Amino acid sequence: MRKITMREAIIEGLHEEMERDDQKVLFGEDVGKFGGINAITRGLYERFGGERVFDTPIAESTIVGAALGMAITGLRPIPELQFGDFVGIAFDEVFNKLGKWRYMHGGTMEVPVTLRAPIGMAGGAGPEHSQSPQALFMHAPGVHIAIPSTPYDAKGLLKTAIRDNNAVLFFEHKLLYDTKGEVPEAEDEYLIPLGQADVKREGSDVTIIATALQVQTSLQAAEKLANEGIDVEVIDPRTLAPLDKETLLSSVQKTGRVLIVHEESKTGGSGAEIAAQISEEALFDLEAPVKRIGSPDVPIAQSLHLEPYYRPSEKQITDAVHELLEY
Amino acid sequence: MAEVYQKDIQLDDYSKEDLVTFYREMVKIRKFDENLIRLMHEGKVSGFYHSGIGSEGLSVGSIVKNLRDEDYLYYNHRGCNQKIAKGVPLSKLYGDFLGTVEGTTRGLGAGIVHSADTSRGVLGQAGTIGSQFNIAVGSAYSAKLQNTNRVTVVYFGDGAASREPLHGSLNWAGLYNLPIIYICENNEYAISSRWDETHSVREHIADWAWGYGISNCVVDGNDVLLMNEVTKEAVDRAKRGEGPTFIEAKTFRHRGHFEGDTYDYVDQEELKDWKENRDPIKNFKNLLLENNICVENEFTRVDEEVDQEILEAIAKAESSPMPDEKRIYEGLFA
Repeated sequence: MRKITMREAIIEGLHEEMERDDQKVLFGEDVGKFGGINAITRGLYERFGGERVFDTPIAESTIVGAALGMAITGLRPIPELQFGDFVGIAFDEVFNKLGKWRYMHGGTMEVPVTLRAPIGMAGGAGPEHSQSPQALFMHAPGVHIAIPSTPYDAKGLLKTAIRDNNAVLFFEHKLLYDTKGEVPEAEDEYLIPLGQADVKREGSDVTIIATALQVQTSLQAAEKLANEGIDVEVIDPRTLAPLDKETLLSSVQKTGRVLIVHEESKTGGSGAEIAAQISEEALFDLEAPVKRIGSPDVPIAQSLHLEPYYRPSEKQITDAVHELLEY
Repeated sequence: MAEVYQKDIQLDDYSKEDLVTFYREMVKIRKFDENLIRLMHEGKVSGFYHSGIGSEGLSVGSIVKNLRDEDYLYYNHRGCNQKIAKGVPLSKLYGDFLGTVEGTTRGLGAGIVHSADTSRGVLGQAGTIGSQFNIAVGSAYSAKLQNTNRVTVVYFGDGAASREPLHGSLNWAGLYNLPIIYICENNEYAISSRWDETHSVREHIADWAWGYGISNCVVDGNDVLLMNEVTKEAVDRAKRGEGPTFIEAKTFRHRGHFEGDTYDYVDQEELKDWKENRDPIKNFKNLLLENNICVENEFTRVDEEVDQEILEAIAKAESSPMPDEKRIYEGLFA
């Protein structure tokens, strides 16, 4: 199979879905002629024109609010927040509106919005351009949350998100944009359903549940551990809402030992909810307490020198797996 | 600076039927409101209510002869006035207040916000007041892109006008030349704060629109015919592709911000003047009487018909059941 980057996979997915019908509208800051600051919307403006692909003013709450207004009147908007951190500016629209508008108005309207947002630490971008805010929205009923870790997943999930008649928050880790992976040729269309975790590596000793960039770090750690004879299973939920509890719990049942790894700061991160659900439903399958690795509970410093102290490392993961096996 | 909209209106240009319709719709709104307050006093309605009494002419004039079912509407915090003028069935609005399944939300409960009727273009309302500005430019963009001639009208009070999204929204509306009409119902008070204590403007709130290159004016919101005329011009402009309009309509509320509000922060003489001399219904009725268009008993008949319609709507809403617990799990996802 051909190998392409996650950036190329997302661009391809956007082009294919924009091509399918002209209800799709894509907009955000610098996404038009410039092609996006991460070059994710390259070529769309030239192909689909300035009415369907347009640059907006720097006004995140208007970008997301307008997307809702478009969605309830027959369009399928694909807005972009330039950085995931900017959900703070559009918090009312993302938290109070996207997932609730349909419900609170009786359930007749549809809100097919796919809101894309790059997340994660990359290149010393500092405290307000590096965060991973996805867990906030596990607490916002009515929205789906997708967080791919491979080019294959990114394209398949994105296409599903755009076709879904509900709001999907689509978080893309910036350090994954240039990572390569196998993706079928463009003519071999595929979709990945929301709410289906993927076992990235099978194993029987310890379950690692990881998201985004940390799936890759966990897979590298698993390779190291395999050399020591430790057989690690790595599962990527791929969507935090809906969360594929079944796949996670059946792995826990098998291994009895769980490590959750994400780049979100540890307290209140998505791992907190996943750990709670495991403790509620699989406590007696556990041989050891559930462990979590997240970034420290402090704002992210801008210094590139300090950034690695935030990002969960392969060593932290192998150490944690060793600890789990001591029980 | 925003100009004050004036027009020498000839009653002859209106059919008697239309004039009576204006009267009937204004009376319907007022009686709806009075009966709702009665139901609140009877302990049957939960939540807040913000009465629209005193401003019926603003909504009836702007909506009844100008907007079609397919035109989009976002109402304001005294939005029953606009929902009724746009034709949402009264039983459904009462159902939302009473929490019965007759309501537009099928029992979730709504009223001041969250009633919706997409078949009549009523797309709902944000509980975080003023957030509808952003949503409204989206539906206007939608109409433009899909090449329909649907117009989006967004209502808001002077209080909501101080929210940040107004400026994001006006910027989009002007920039993309969107078919949208902003109608600011300036009743002078947000809750207790007077509009001139909270808005930095040259003279009018509508002056802000000038800065965005958006047509704008100030109008007497209690003159139903003037509201009809000024909105008609804005709707025509939007349909011709000439973009947005901002209308600041001056009015005053007869009651407090919410039921139970002491409403002691307004000058009582001023309030008395608005009630006695500037009531939109009373003045319009006198206009029709003075011009020999209607006689007193025609109004009496309309009043009685509306009374009957309202009692039937309440009966229908009240006799409808409350939802059971499973209702709260329905409708989250499409």
